[in-house]
Amino acid sequence: MTATTESGQTAGPFVHPALFYADAREYVAGTVPFVRAALAAGEPVAVAVPGENLRLIEDELGADGAAVRFLDMREAGRNPGRIIPGVLRAFADAQPPGRRVHIIGEPVWAGRSPAEYPACAQHEALINAAFQGREVTILCPYDTARLDERALADAYATHPVVIPAGSGAERTSAAYDPDGVVSRYNEPLPPAPDAGPGLLRLSFDEDSLSAVRHLATDHGARLGLTGLALENLALITAELTTNSVVHGGGTGALTVWPEDGYVLCEVRDKGRLADPLAGRRPAARDQRGGRGLLLVNLVSDLVRTHTGPEGTTIRSYLRR
Amino acid sequence: MPAPSAPRLDVSPLAGRTGFRAAGEVSLGTRGIWERALERAVREGEDVYHLELSALTFVDVAGAGALADAARGLGGRRRLVLDRPPDALPRILDLLWPGLPGIEVRTS
Repeated sequence: MTATTESGQTAGPFVHPALFYADAREYVAGTVPFVRAALAAGEPVAVAVPGENLRLIEDELGADGAAVRFLDMREAGRNPGRIIPGVLRAFADAQPPGRRVHIIGEPVWAGRSPAEYPACAQHEALINAAFQGREVTILCPYDTARLDERALADAYATHPVVIPAGSGAERTSAAYDPDGVVSRYNEPLPPAPDAGPGLLRLSFDEDSLSAVRHLATDHGARLGLTGLALENLALITAELTTNSVVHGGGTGALTVWPEDGYVLCEVRDKGRLADPLAGRRPAARDQRGGRGLLLVNLVSDLVRTHTGPEGTTIRSYLRR
Repeated sequence: MPAPSAPRLDVSPLAGRTGFRAAGEVSLGTRGIWERALERAVREGEDVYHLELSALTFVDVAGAGALADAARGLGGRRRLVLDRPPDALPRILDLLWPGLPGIEVRTS
């Protein structure tokens, strides 16, 4: 079934409103009735928001919260590229068919870094394509008191409907333009340093894949990665460099360097990433291949991508 | 560009039980060897097929995928038993093929 909104756009079954709130009272007033309505209808509901907001909702729901899946978005959604496959679809796809799935997802908060924010905006825009045609509602709270103007303006472009602070009433967003947001934030990444003791820069082809993985991993260890993070660096290096060899023109360049509390691993090649949802769909069980970028998204603390006619750059951040 | 270094994967039959031992790494250069060994495992038709993986240093996502495919190809009561695989392998399987039947992991 399709419905036509007041702007004349054809809306499918997927519902994706932005909820604006200025304080805890507005937050609870906008989110808790959403959860209670889903529970009353016997429909599945998940809440994936930053920890302090999670507690607001949990406290208000009390014992009724037992049927709700709660996730701290600061952990589960630290990498925005992980949220669609690892949080939203992981929950929605696990529910029995025939019942609408309800999720509160808050991927944008005031502490998001300048490196993280473009990935957040692209994520919010891509939710629309990822859930097209699904009986799912994803409500996205935005903190009007602490987010900057750009983040609030982008919310109007990434959500087909918005709920102004304190109003409770949904209205169509005239600025809705998810494709525009995806391409606007497909921006060249700030360059890696040119030199320095912490810098490893190598070019590679098929014959050097194995050597490059070892060199990158050894370098990551020197930069302070241990245990799981080091294992993840080996996996990320292997998947990105192998993608370049198989799909990205056969060769590429790898750079590893430290930045703030992270080790960054970047792979550049001549290929073009045509599908903006690459690495964000949970792969169908019987599908062969195509899971390399998904793994990179699932294990990285942040992934940034820039793709265009000159080639593709994918940068993974791992916390030290 | 670093000097080329051909990755190795040595596969040998186990003594005393059905299965193989794999030593080296599973990556683009050795994927064919790994896939052929797993295809043999599926064809052999034993209920339990052991993969002794303690000398495996690395498995990429495609290598884990070949294992997932092999497990799916078994059907019924049959299963692949992974003996002491590298830590990342069960983690990749859990992340990308959650709930996959037909694989048992033994860590000791």
